[in-house]
Amino acid sequence: MTRTIRLAGRQALLEQRSFWRSAEYALFTFVFPLMILLLIGAANVGSHLPGTTIKNTTVFVPGILAFGIIVAAYVNLGSKVAVLRHDGVLKRIRTTPLPSGAYLGGLLVSTIVTALLITVATGLIGWLAFGAVPRADESLALVGGLILGIVCFASLGLAISSVITSSESAGPVAYASFLPIAIISGVFDPTFSGLPSWLSRVVAAFPVKPLAEVLQNAYAVRPFTAWDLASLALWTAGGACFAVWRFRWQS
Amino acid sequence: MTDTSVIDDHPAVTDQLAVQVRGLRMAFGATEVLRGVDFGVRYGEVFCLLGPNGAGKTTTLEILEGFRPPTAGEVRVLGLDPATQAAKLRERAGMVLQECGFPRQARVGELIEVWRSYYPSPRPLGDLLEVVELTEVRNTQVRKLSGGQRRRLDFALALAGDPDLVFLDEPTTGFDPEARRRCWAAIENLRGLGKTILLTTHYLDEAERLADRIAILRAGRIELTGTTHEVATRAGLATRISFTTPSALRRRQIPPPDGIELVISGSQAVCHTDNAAMTLRVLLAWAGEHRLGDLDGLAVTAPRLEDTYLQLTGAAGGQADRA
Repeated sequence: MTRTIRLAGRQALLEQRSFWRSAEYALFTFVFPLMILLLIGAANVGSHLPGTTIKNTTVFVPGILAFGIIVAAYVNLGSKVAVLRHDGVLKRIRTTPLPSGAYLGGLLVSTIVTALLITVATGLIGWLAFGAVPRADESLALVGGLILGIVCFASLGLAISSVITSSESAGPVAYASFLPIAIISGVFDPTFSGLPSWLSRVVAAFPVKPLAEVLQNAYAVRPFTAWDLASLALWTAGGACFAVWRFRWQS
Repeated sequence: MTDTSVIDDHPAVTDQLAVQVRGLRMAFGATEVLRGVDFGVRYGEVFCLLGPNGAGKTTTLEILEGFRPPTAGEVRVLGLDPATQAAKLRERAGMVLQECGFPRQARVGELIEVWRSYYPSPRPLGDLLEVVELTEVRNTQVRKLSGGQRRRLDFALALAGDPDLVFLDEPTTGFDPEARRRCWAAIENLRGLGKTILLTTHYLDEAERLADRIAILRAGRIELTGTTHEVATRAGLATRISFTTPSALRRRQIPPPDGIELVISGSQAVCHTDNAAMTLRVLLAWAGEHRLGDLDGLAVTAPRLEDTYLQLTGAAGGQADRA
């Protein structure tokens, strides 16, 4: 057991080093969300949600927190595992006595580290640039929401990796499969509304809006529903089952 | 057993078998890829599974490596059953697959270090880099390596756990001559460490250059096994004797030797024989009788692997390309 943990740690370290050496990964995972945070955030300074005293940015910043987690856990892990599979790296790992758990554990730990780093960066910039801070009495809910979000989207990332058919399409497929939902979930626009009701129901069925709502509650008084938590839990379980069922060591 | 000091003529070779294969069969659906394969690899030797594409070489290796359970037959690798003891086997056997990738952003030395951590008693890093001649690029990212360098990195990773046995599946396919030469040098280095090596190839020169013993696999069966020389001899090929055609013979001033089928093509006279000594005696007696001296340019050529191989794999043509 200790050996597996030690090996997983070692693997995570290699993954992190490789991640920061790759301009495209680091750029798309970090620069993209932070740029959106600054640009759209700037456009919302001084505005309030219609009919309330809640500042737009207090809702927008946690929305971008959700976005960052999705990029780090879902897009990054999903495309990474797909590339590892199609490039034959997973196949090579199978030729060694490294326990599968240690390898996949290492990938997950590295993903969690990346997700936490992007969360901290988003939170800091949100605070420094827009004065958005979480509510003190909701810090436990915030941490819980972050953990749930990372776990949920990491399991979905592993699931999507099995659907991706080549190294080249990995990034585009991962992005294309969630960006539209993120947009109509209002992640980029705090005042986003006016969807036809059937589409709202569709959006609510996906885990993006629930995660955004859980995090937004920790920043502004906008209570989330039990459905939000249930949705995240269901998607986590579904993603994990699909990932385990479809997992292959080679393409 | 893995003493790395000076090694003359593979003292590590013993009669114990590192790999034992008996009656191995493998079918994918209705297609029979292996139809009863038998061979054994001794400790410390370089054993080559030679055959055309589609002969079943990779499938055989995959079974020995524990990636596929065979349809039938008995397999022992380092005394283990690969189908049920794969994890244990992987601690003691290094595997170079035909194609598999690297994490592209990892550096050479860093990657080998991580690989070493997977094994209970790894070889030292500097030693590994030296064996595969990658010491100069130890700080280079894998994606910047040439094809030949990557292959040698494959070797280093397969060797990281200081295995007793190394599998090499078509180690130089698609390489230019210089890259091949360096790969061969790396394989020679592995041999120098006393490792047992089981390699597959469809290149004759590779088998001839590297292998202590060869098994020719064709259409799912082993046709012949033995040293290069034995394989050629057992294929029933004749020894070739040639010499410069004496001018008197060319001008028909003397009769050709009795009982020998001599073919004269310009300046060369050639005959084939199953009994080289006897034929030579007859030829030299004939030369003495006609005052031709010792026969200029006399050459006796043992049957070569290439002849055997072409005879075996060429004759049955299309069949060899199946599966």
